[in-house]
Amino acid sequence: MERPLALRCRGLTKSFNGTKAVDALDLSVPERTIFGLLGPNGSGKTTTIRIVLGIFARDAGEVTTLGIDDALAVRDRLGYLPEERGLYPKMKVGEQLAFLGSIRGLSRRDAKQRAERWLGRLGLAERARSETNELSKGMQQKVQFAAAVIHEPELLVLDEPFTGLDPINTRLLKELILEQRDRGATVVLSTHRMDQVETMCESICLIHEGRDVLAGPLSEVKAAYGKSSVQLEYDGPPGALAALEGVREVRDSGRAASLLLEKGADSQRLLRQLIERVTVRSFVLAEPSVEDIFLDKVGYVPGLATHPPVAPGADVLLAEESPA
Amino acid sequence: MRADKIFSMARREYLARVRSKAFIVTTLLLPAMFAIYAVVFPAMTRADVDEVRLTIVDAGTGIGATVASRLEAEEAVPFVVEQVLQVATADLEEARADLSQSIRERQIDGYLVLQADPETLARSQYYARETGNIIIVETIGGAVEAGILESWFDGDALERLRRVQRSRMQTITVSASGEEAGGFLVAYASTFVLGMLLYMTVLMYGQQMAMAIVEEKSSRLVELVIGAVTSTEYMIGKVLGVLATGLTQLGIWLLMVAVMILGILPALAIGTAMADFDLAGALDVRTLAYFSIFFFLGYLMYATVFAAIGATCDSVQELQQAMLPAIMPVILAFMSMFYIMTNPSSFAAKALSFFPYFTPLTMFARVNVSQPPLWEVWLSIVVLLATAAATIWAAGKIFHATILFHGKRPGLGELFRMVRAAS
Repeated sequence: MERPLALRCRGLTKSFNGTKAVDALDLSVPERTIFGLLGPNGSGKTTTIRIVLGIFARDAGEVTTLGIDDALAVRDRLGYLPEERGLYPKMKVGEQLAFLGSIRGLSRRDAKQRAERWLGRLGLAERARSETNELSKGMQQKVQFAAAVIHEPELLVLDEPFTGLDPINTRLLKELILEQRDRGATVVLSTHRMDQVETMCESICLIHEGRDVLAGPLSEVKAAYGKSSVQLEYDGPPGALAALEGVREVRDSGRAASLLLEKGADSQRLLRQLIERVTVRSFVLAEPSVEDIFLDKVGYVPGLATHPPVAPGADVLLAEESPA
Repeated sequence: MRADKIFSMARREYLARVRSKAFIVTTLLLPAMFAIYAVVFPAMTRADVDEVRLTIVDAGTGIGATVASRLEAEEAVPFVVEQVLQVATADLEEARADLSQSIRERQIDGYLVLQADPETLARSQYYARETGNIIIVETIGGAVEAGILESWFDGDALERLRRVQRSRMQTITVSASGEEAGGFLVAYASTFVLGMLLYMTVLMYGQQMAMAIVEEKSSRLVELVIGAVTSTEYMIGKVLGVLATGLTQLGIWLLMVAVMILGILPALAIGTAMADFDLAGALDVRTLAYFSIFFFLGYLMYATVFAAIGATCDSVQELQQAMLPAIMPVILAFMSMFYIMTNPSSFAAKALSFFPYFTPLTMFARVNVSQPPLWEVWLSIVVLLATAAATIWAAGKIFHATILFHGKRPGLGELFRMVRAAS
């Protein structure tokens, strides 16, 4: 059954100074799910997010945010945690959160009450009257998250919400995000943390050089790849995994490796090859991980740092050389 | 654009600024400095003047005794006249040599020589260890003048003479709507004060605002806010919040000045110097109405330019360079205001008052000092209004196109393209 979409883009295109940051992108985010928006740095994720939130105008294509083609009209029902974010350093934490709620359309009284509740939730109740710059980075990050959800948005866009958090706060944030989904919100999670995508996202879209190169429910995406990967744990000399028959790519971590098989490769033959070369501690035939799929799709070449041709889009200033 | 969003932004800006230590300190410090300059220094000077021990040498004028009694009656400076020497003109040099020696030996502080003169009755010279104190010198000079007049005129004539000296010519401005006393001095003073107000507000608060925008941009705070508010709402909220801060501070200062003029100054002797100054006349409804129009439009126009410049910069250092070309017109307008105050009807004054980036200061000066034709005033207001609207529109475009981007500052050509790219 098709679920209604919280967000839908068709042929979305945006250029900055002649460089295409987003190029005919399609995106379908089903309601009440956690959706993974993946892509290497400079792939056009941030630009896409800014367009669907109504911050940038698009050059071409269709965008429907919460059912209508005018994100600004529904902006009080949207929540956004940008990748790069700051807070007013001198403002009191409680006032700050209430202010950020009030610009999302909450009444001042409502914003104040909710800010208090959220600070209690985050264990920061006693810091409500502190200046924001007295908080640790992790605390500030939690306040920023609270600011993105204080008005209970229907569509919540989180851009790298986990950067810089310790394991305890990472766990807490994960719970809070799941809680948002359970409340009925749609969450778009843009992250490089593949383990988070693996465990949290129902569907994903992988963006590369401004295009959607892979999209759909995570289970279907993986199934399409088949059991085409081997998770290997081994002991052996360096380079022992080179030039294996039926393997098109090896991601070697030293004592563990992920082997991507060629189409129709014989896994049993591979195992025999391996036993001759190294001590196999574990050999699991599996679906590829999101990380494998990601690296495969963006054309990762081992040992070679690749970058998209020109970093397009929002992460770069549009000015190259001033003619003036 | 939504008014509630702009209001929220402006309110935050206002409260953050008004509660800041910097605001409280400058609000109190400036009047304190003024008070020190205007009240405490003169009072200290007066209290600080030690006795001035004098000898008066009267070489045939006959007014030595009168001058002595006048000086001793003086309140501002405690004069002590040790003696009044009557000497013949021939003996004057010898007497002077002795007295100069007395000054060196610190027996007296100075002596006053009054020499007979056929035309002015007395030529006076004041010899002293210290001749730099203007109050002492002026007081002695006044006493000599009074002594001469008293010996020339009898009681009745003297009284009439004094009255003539005190009376001043009045100036009355004749305009279409009637006649108005006060005239040049009042118009000049009020133009200067109100023009200064606009100039200071724009430069002080406009620059503070641009700096705040740069800080919020480089700390990536803008990214968190844009989305909930549009860049235009953010910019206008900022401009209005800072304007409210400025008006609050100016309001506090004006209140303090009013209290000082009405309450404190008359109690001190300084009040007499301002007795002629008609405060109500200086701040009539017409002046204030025009001032409000020019102030509001001028501030909005300049402040949005500053905001747009702030949006293009990544650091405060970069901002300082970039601001210079935008500040120049404000400074030039302020300077040309002085020229206009003295030549309000010249062709140059007219031309300057129609250049919209000068109009707020230059046309205001013309309106206040002279009576330009009404159509000229309103034409300049319409031109200013259109320019301000166009400036705000263009600044909004540049603001939107640059506030979320970092790196090299866009050049003029790029700025032009941003404005042209309607989105």
